[in-house]
Amino acid sequence: MRFRVSSMKVEASAGSQNMPPLLKVENLVKCYARRSLVGRGEELLALNGVSFTVFPGTTLAVVGESGSGKSTLASCLACLESPTAGNIWFEGKDIVKVEERVRRQLRPQIQLIFQDPASSLNPRWSVLEILLEPLILRRKFTREEMKQCASSLLERVGLSPDFVERPPTELSGGQRQRLAIARALALQPKLLILDEALSALDCSVQAQIANLLRELQSSLGMTYLFITHDLAMAVYLADEIAVMSRGRIVELGSAEQILDQPQHETTRQLLRALPRMTRALPAPEQ
Amino acid sequence: MRYLLRRLSHALFLLAGVSILAFLFTALAPGTYFDEMRLNPQIAPETVTALRAQYGFDKPLPVRYASWLRSVIHGEMGFSFAYNGPVAPLLLVRARNTLLLTITATLLAWGIALPLGVWSADRLGRLPDRLLSWATAGLLVIPDLAVALGLLVLAVRSGWFPTGGMASVDFETLSPFNKLRDLALHMILPVTALVLSSLPLLVRHVRAAVADVLNAPFLLAAVGHGIRKRTLLYRYALPAAANPLISLFGFSIGVLLSGSLLIEVVMSWPGLGPLLLEAVLARDLYVVVGGILGSTLFLVGGNLLADLLLYWADPRIRTESGAR
Amino acid sequence: MRVRRTFAKWLVVLGVLHGMVVCAGFFAPYDPVEQDRQSPYLPPMRLHLLDAHGHLHVRPFVYALRLRESSFDQFEEDTTEPHPVKFFLRGARYRLLGFLPLRMHFFGGENTRIYLLGTDAYGRDQFSRLLFGGQVSLFAGLLGAGVTLFIGWSIGAVAGYYGGWRDSLLMRVAELFLALPWLYLLFALRAFLPLAVSPLEAFFLITAVLGAVGWARPARLVRGVVLSAKERDFVRAARGFGASNGYLLRRHILPETSSVLLTQAAILIPQYVLAEMTLSFLGLGVPEPVPSWGNLLSGLQQYSVLVSYWWMYLPALAMVPFFLGYLGLASSFEERGAVYKIESRIWGM
Repeated sequence: MRFRVSSMKVEASAGSQNMPPLLKVENLVKCYARRSLVGRGEELLALNGVSFTVFPGTTLAVVGESGSGKSTLASCLACLESPTAGNIWFEGKDIVKVEERVRRQLRPQIQLIFQDPASSLNPRWSVLEILLEPLILRRKFTREEMKQCASSLLERVGLSPDFVERPPTELSGGQRQRLAIARALALQPKLLILDEALSALDCSVQAQIANLLRELQSSLGMTYLFITHDLAMAVYLADEIAVMSRGRIVELGSAEQILDQPQHETTRQLLRALPRMTRALPAPEQ
Repeated sequence: MRYLLRRLSHALFLLAGVSILAFLFTALAPGTYFDEMRLNPQIAPETVTALRAQYGFDKPLPVRYASWLRSVIHGEMGFSFAYNGPVAPLLLVRARNTLLLTITATLLAWGIALPLGVWSADRLGRLPDRLLSWATAGLLVIPDLAVALGLLVLAVRSGWFPTGGMASVDFETLSPFNKLRDLALHMILPVTALVLSSLPLLVRHVRAAVADVLNAPFLLAAVGHGIRKRTLLYRYALPAAANPLISLFGFSIGVLLSGSLLIEVVMSWPGLGPLLLEAVLARDLYVVVGGILGSTLFLVGGNLLADLLLYWADPRIRTESGAR
Repeated sequence: MRVRRTFAKWLVVLGVLHGMVVCAGFFAPYDPVEQDRQSPYLPPMRLHLLDAHGHLHVRPFVYALRLRESSFDQFEEDTTEPHPVKFFLRGARYRLLGFLPLRMHFFGGENTRIYLLGTDAYGRDQFSRLLFGGQVSLFAGLLGAGVTLFIGWSIGAVAGYYGGWRDSLLMRVAELFLALPWLYLLFALRAFLPLAVSPLEAFFLITAVLGAVGWARPARLVRGVVLSAKERDFVRAARGFGASNGYLLRRHILPETSSVLLTQAAILIPQYVLAEMTLSFLGLGVPEPVPSWGNLLSGLQQYSVLVSYWWMYLPALAMVPFFLGYLGLASSFEERGAVYKIESRIWGM
């Protein structure tokens, strides 16, 4: 049996198509100049004209093999790198062209969750310090507010408040990723970019975090850009899937479309790579 | 090949940079040779001014640097006020003596450190290895100055070795063989001091590098093939551990050079060290610049040699042909 | 935990050693420049518990030294009268820590002067001079290492964090400094500064020169740490929260450099103390009569001193326990048996 799209999925996409898009990417190009000391430099096109739109409350999964430009896309969208050409419209503002002051205000609305929770949390800090960092950087909150905010964030992601004084190194991988999500939520962002956020976790933990993400989406109306190489997880989480290869989006469509009528060779390869149960399981004896 | 060319141009860049740096320092210096001269009542102030002009000291720094460069091309490297002659021949003799000392010491130190380190790595954690570790640690914490002075005291008390200089008084009258013997006798003390001061670090590095490699799967496989221990250690492990050791070789030359500066002065070996000290005390500017440049040349040469060895020993560098 | 315990152990050892030097006035029985022209080159006195008649004394004592008959430089013990060592007795004035005027000394003799390490050409007590000399040498080392680390740290942080042309320029200059054998560089820098200066000026001069010589190595190490730290995900995440450069450096990146700085300090301090010794030994450092470990040894450049007065050599070994302490401290930063790594940093690899 092939993978089936879960029927439990929140079908938010149909209604929100009428709303203006939250994120609109047009013809994004990112070019790295690899310079050597002697002779001319080589150019590496990490993104070669990428365009897509994401509507509020939906999930777009970007799937592709390693080196296809997925992470570069994430860095550009999170304003960690500036693209060589193209536009990124976020709530109608072009965050590439806008001046630095405005961008710094827009930035907190787009949050990035990294692949490796071990390196995205400063090991010298305590859980509480890590959680409060974005709030402290905003400089708008009193101590009391921050404490309240911290405990509600911890509760939201299902972490025990006993952890707050400990360093993140004493947390398990899943707990760390929960903490990273809680921290990202602190500034109440509109868009969460998950850059391979589940890939470093064990299978069962992956499922737990994936469910947490869906829960947050239905309760907070979050919008996700889910970047992964795992097509199965993309199908589970996303409304729409974009398949990337060599810096281009080669196929874009709803999860069902991609699953049932793959058009591009890369998509077919990714589908073929999915594990399949070839032997029927013994029927439960009753 | 491109790799070697790049290393060579890098070395030239370093030499040029160091010479400019040395000249910059001279610009910052508050006193010159002529200021000391001016204090001497027997020399007329006009003479001093004339001398200053003659040696171009009234000109701005870039002009002085350019004229110094010209004199380098002519093989003079500036003028020594104290010796009243060009610097280069002066430097050449002294540099030769320093080189004699450091090359001997380098070869000897590595000749001892390699087998000792391999031997120790082979017995890692066992009693002989631990004893050697303690011995090298002990040697490491004794200052060079104490080692040199201690050796000197020993030599003076025992009378076994000549205690200073490079040759006996009657050196010129000796037969060629005895000349060589005399030189070797004079070298024993400074060379021993230099070897003792650099040996502990070398032994420890060789030991650590070889011990690292000895755990590698390909060596365990070689053990499984039943290859003899000696062959295993020297034909398999040592070449695999060569890379860090070769870079260490370049650095060890620099450390030995610094060490030899002090030891030459203490043991009155007529090398660059005493010359530099005299020049510093007499404010003999161009000799100082020349001495620094000479020592840099040695160090850069040592590093080039290490690069060459690396090129020869590591096939990756040859095939990579200059990416990095 | 184990690492922390060995670290604490070495810190205590170093603390005690430095404490003795800091409180040199208390532990030294005499003023370091006070001369006793009657007894030049007196050999060290031995502490006894058993006297010539075989009686056991509870309090250690010394015998006075007198010239052996028909000799002009051989001394022997005058065993007729033992001179007990007194503790906590009044003696020469000194200022503890530079401001507290005191006369209390840890030990001394009542009717005779006790020279534990003998005397020098002017009959000055070598033991007192050794302790006071430590003040000069050790603090030149400490201060010089501080200056070096500060320069290297700032340059490394700027080069690593901002990158680009600043990075290439600074690292090129660092390569120049690394290309020079450091003792030669030290000489060169010293060469272009005034020679005849007061002891205090000389002290600060040496400190400045030492500080200026060694910055390249820590700068390169710090740059490496900063370079890798600024690409860490938690730094990128903080940038995403709208953090400024100053905040990132202060809160995330520079704390990462602390272990490199500590290790470098433990390596640089003894190295700089040695450098001060070398300079002063050669007459380029702190001048007489102020003692330093280097100029205490400079007498040995005379052949006669080297041959006849072996105790003049003892200050050369004063550095050994300190060096041992610092080496232990440096290697306790790394895991067990990793002295190799520390040393590779000494060599700048």
